[in-house]
Amino acid sequence: MIQLKDVSYVRLGSPDLESAEIFATTCLGLQIAERGKKDLYLRSDARAHTLCYSEGNPNDQTVGFEVEDEASLQEAASTLESLGHAVHAGSPHEAEQRKVRAFIGFRDPTGNHIELVVRPERSGRRYFASRDAGITGFSHIGLNSSDPARDERFWTQVCNARVSDRIGDIPLMRVNAIHHTIALVRAPKAGIQHINHQVESSDDVLRSYYFLSERRVPIVFGPGRHPTSGARFLYFEGPDGMIFEYSVGVDEIEDETTHRPRQFGFEPASFCMWGSKPAGMTLPNN
Amino acid sequence: MNNGRAIPLISSVCYVRLAVSEPGASARFVSDIFGLQRVADQDGEIAFRSDDRFRTVSLGHQAPDGASVGIEVWDDDALKEIGRRLSTAGFTAREATAGECRRRYVQSALLAEDASGNRIDLVVRPTRSGRRYFPARDAGIVAFHGVGLRTTDHVRDLAFWRALGAEVSDWVGDIAYVRIDGLHHRVALYPSKRNGILYTAFEVEALDHIMQNSYFMQESQLRVVQGPGREPASRQMFLHVEGPDGLIFSYVNGMATLDGKPRLARQFPLATTSLCDWGSESKDVPELGAAV
Repeated sequence: MIQLKDVSYVRLGSPDLESAEIFATTCLGLQIAERGKKDLYLRSDARAHTLCYSEGNPNDQTVGFEVEDEASLQEAASTLESLGHAVHAGSPHEAEQRKVRAFIGFRDPTGNHIELVVRPERSGRRYFASRDAGITGFSHIGLNSSDPARDERFWTQVCNARVSDRIGDIPLMRVNAIHHTIALVRAPKAGIQHINHQVESSDDVLRSYYFLSERRVPIVFGPGRHPTSGARFLYFEGPDGMIFEYSVGVDEIEDETTHRPRQFGFEPASFCMWGSKPAGMTLPNN
Repeated sequence: MNNGRAIPLISSVCYVRLAVSEPGASARFVSDIFGLQRVADQDGEIAFRSDDRFRTVSLGHQAPDGASVGIEVWDDDALKEIGRRLSTAGFTAREATAGECRRRYVQSALLAEDASGNRIDLVVRPTRSGRRYFPARDAGIVAFHGVGLRTTDHVRDLAFWRALGAEVSDWVGDIAYVRIDGLHHRVALYPSKRNGILYTAFEVEALDHIMQNSYFMQESQLRVVQGPGREPASRQMFLHVEGPDGLIFSYVNGMATLDGKPRLARQFPLATTSLCDWGSESKDVPELGAAV
């Protein structure tokens, strides 16, 4: 079984790196780690980078997960190949671009581009945000799925993900104690549905609501509170239609052995217990 | 805070009596929308509960003795002391008649006025209820919290509150947050062109209820005059909702408690960032919008 430790980074293609940089620094609040000719590396926590924009097609979206070591990486490659997934072994140059020791790439059953990485770089300098959004780190992603039941089996049987809760047939899955690191979202084609950063407090969620509203950043859902994870949240739209989320107060699963996934009905109250309604963002099952 | 006394003179803000043009419409707002428990009418006034007190809000049809705020006084000795202090400070206060006490559900009272003409009832033994509070809808209200008052003479009005043993916790411009117990404030004085009650605040259980009520008001198409927001000075989260006649009812939570040690009142500039940490603004209520 492939042992995912944590989500590591997201790589996004963008035709307009300049706009991406303005959004990432003045709205989202990330720190520029490195600005290349065709790449923009952004930090959100102690890691050297957690988000990278590369000049290119916005449909090129990749999520990286950390695994233990190079032996685990080789094992994962054999497992995936035996199941019929084409595996790309990252070249040293490609690994350097990702600031990791080694990696492999493959596609999940929906076709999402996934990378497994070993020894992603940390930074010696602490994270220093470009605006005071209160970000404490990159935390999870919403991942498109054309068949949630099939993809749940992939993430939980081939990989080590565990279902924390379900809304309808949509699983929220964890790979460590945090309530969820991967949230599947029903969608016709592959892609990252949202990118989550944790913030310090619910004050930060509300402050950003007013801050982003004033700057005409489309707020697509929230401020609200998920009854599943308990997190207070705000979803808003960034460059190329990508949705970003701030949230705080995600539950941790205290007892791994006795936790039973709860079933929530597929209705708005299962996504927000405060009563906010998604605007310009489809709920996962739609 | 106790002005050298072993026990404080006053202990809480215990009710508001509001004069409205259409008590029926206002009552529907207070119970069905805002979420207080409507109880039996008496003397032509519609009354509501918000906690274990017998009544905390009454609505009268432009009642002859007008709107007033009830302040609970420790006992009759304290009431006498307050009478002496107010008279020394140049304020008038008269003893309430038996009828006035009955309408206020209290045993004895001094009816006073601050320099702006706000009626302040200083009351002893306001009635409690043996039945628990059971509201019409789940707005999360746990207790009546306090009031915001408009003031046309903030120096003299503050002298009035100081005569009762209250103290200023912090200033935003000349807005004074006035403390009467262990909480940052129960009364806030807002400089204004007129007098009157600016808002009546009710504590809810948590931020959840501030936000749930915020979306409830949106869906009910009621006007939120400010919020959801958070006062930087008191750390109190708030949602100010407007009902009929421009009455403002507020949901609040999270106010800072003070430890009773001597503490200097802090001065914040009169700016929107001093009134809301999150960034909410009030465009229509000048007192809330740092615009006076």
